[in-house]
Amino acid sequence: MAKVKLEAKLRSETGKSAARELRRQGYVPAVLYGHGEETRACKIEIKQLEKLLQSGSHESTLIDLKLDKGKTSQVLIREVQVHPYRPEVLHIDFLAVHKGEKVRLEVPIRLVGVAPGVKEGGIIEHLRHDVEIRCIPSAIPEALEVEISGLGIGDSVSVADLRPSEGVEILSDADSTIAAIVPPTVHKVEELEAVALAAEEEVEPELVGRGKPAEVEEGGEEES
Amino acid sequence: MLAPKRIKWRKQQKGRVRGNATRGNRVAFGQYGLQTLDSAWITARQIEAARVAMTRHIKRGGKVFIRIFPDKPITKKPAETRMGKGKGSPEGWVAPVKPGRVMFELEGVSESSARRAMELAAAKLPVKTRFITRSGGGL
Repeated sequence: MAKVKLEAKLRSETGKSAARELRRQGYVPAVLYGHGEETRACKIEIKQLEKLLQSGSHESTLIDLKLDKGKTSQVLIREVQVHPYRPEVLHIDFLAVHKGEKVRLEVPIRLVGVAPGVKEGGIIEHLRHDVEIRCIPSAIPEALEVEISGLGIGDSVSVADLRPSEGVEILSDADSTIAAIVPPTVHKVEELEAVALAAEEEVEPELVGRGKPAEVEEGGEEES
Repeated sequence: MLAPKRIKWRKQQKGRVRGNATRGNRVAFGQYGLQTLDSAWITARQIEAARVAMTRHIKRGGKVFIRIFPDKPITKKPAETRMGKGKGSPEGWVAPVKPGRVMFELEGVSESSARRAMELAAAKLPVKTRFITRSGGGL
């Protein structure tokens, strides 16, 4: 697993306006906490984070976080708050982990291989993208891989088919489906137009507990 | 077109669309999403037009997810009617959306094809939009 090094600075200023000021200066407000550790508010330069956050596996990447040129601690990103529609990171939670102490986290699932069902025209429906695991920090996998090269149309793989390395315990439901190969959906132009025409004929919905709308007469509405 | 099957009341008050979407603002089902940057009422017809535009472009393969549902009835008074005499009769259905809402998602197609399909769908909608991917995590 690739290791990432980040540098953060402690901050004393808290609250909405202080956080906004930090963001204007190119920092992201963050917090560092962990088992048996004091919670500390810090800030980190956005430039350092961009590449990591766009990798898609930031929550399963072990980070060496250096706080104010002091002690370096091993951390995981526990939460990233992003603006509802602007590409802007608002806040980050770091979880300090300790050697030999098991942590729970979600790791991404990667599909490996090309399914014969896809060559026949089927579509891969990727239903589950993450799986919850528990392991010691040194055993955290960047992602769990699942082989799909044996799947035909109508076949699927579930969490039970994942083969994690030793020391990694999967906590998610074993029956949960990860991916399935479904038959192709072919949309002919005529079909689409027929559907559109059928949709034109609007049917008024039924009123709950009051019978069909046609039976309900409300005086003075339709007057012209 | 999308419309509720059963409703409790035929007419609703207008209401106001304020703030940003705090839920439904990340890609949840597919790989790619079309996110609104404005607040608006998206009519059932616009949703249908966008869906048809996308499915026509991707032709075979791929799956379209519609993540908004028009459950708000809109009324209209007949033409050349004097004001008053009560509220008009139901004319259609809309889905109120707030900035950030992911309206459509696509799966099982290449990114370039998804971008083009979303572009065609966006042309049918009354809002500014943004193309987002699952791996980008909203960035």
